[in-house]
Amino acid sequence: MNEAKKTHWAATERDQKNQRHIILWSLAWILPFLGVNLAIENDWIGSDALALAATIGVTVLGLGVLLAYRRFLRNADELMRKIQLDALALTVGVGVVSGFSYTLLEGAGIVAEAEAMTLIMVMVVTYITGVVVGQRRFS
Amino acid sequence: MKNRLKVLRAERDWTQAQLAQALEVSRQTVNAIETGKFDPSLPLAFRIAHLFEEHIEEIFEPE
Repeated sequence: MNEAKKTHWAATERDQKNQRHIILWSLAWILPFLGVNLAIENDWIGSDALALAATIGVTVLGLGVLLAYRRFLRNADELMRKIQLDALALTVGVGVVSGFSYTLLEGAGIVAEAEAMTLIMVMVVTYITGVVVGQRRFS
Repeated sequence: MKNRLKVLRAERDWTQAQLAQALEVSRQTVNAIETGKFDPSLPLAFRIAHLFEEHIEEIFEPE
């Protein structure tokens, strides 16, 4: 077998386990988020206090994602950690630079006002691209 | 950093996967170190040296 040949990325068992935790926490966070978002947009939640309580609940679940990701990064195979950190650096850079540039264009009236979700999507796509490119670079 | 990891591994007739398992890293990490794309951390370099029963400077040297 030619071991120098490019192969699919095979994470260690520890990384796979921690990645599964991130996925589970992400689902536990995003599904209630979508539900609460839908309820708020359709005025299904009667009071501000209930909306606040639901938002706090969703935020706590989001902290679960954050902690799961932190555990993954701390225990990750060191090449995996480098790829993740490179992708995160790229994501922050692209997010900040594109956000500021868009603000200038928006101020000049060249582009319409963007929603926060647009910036989040740009960052998510950048992060995934960074991870995939990093894995291909080292595989 | 140059290293003799591939030579040491070949001397023992180990695959990258076997070495990766012994070092508790991914096979891609072993491959990246062997090809000089990635320099290991000091703790991993010590684990490699311990596994092959050599000093770090006998395995790794600056280019």
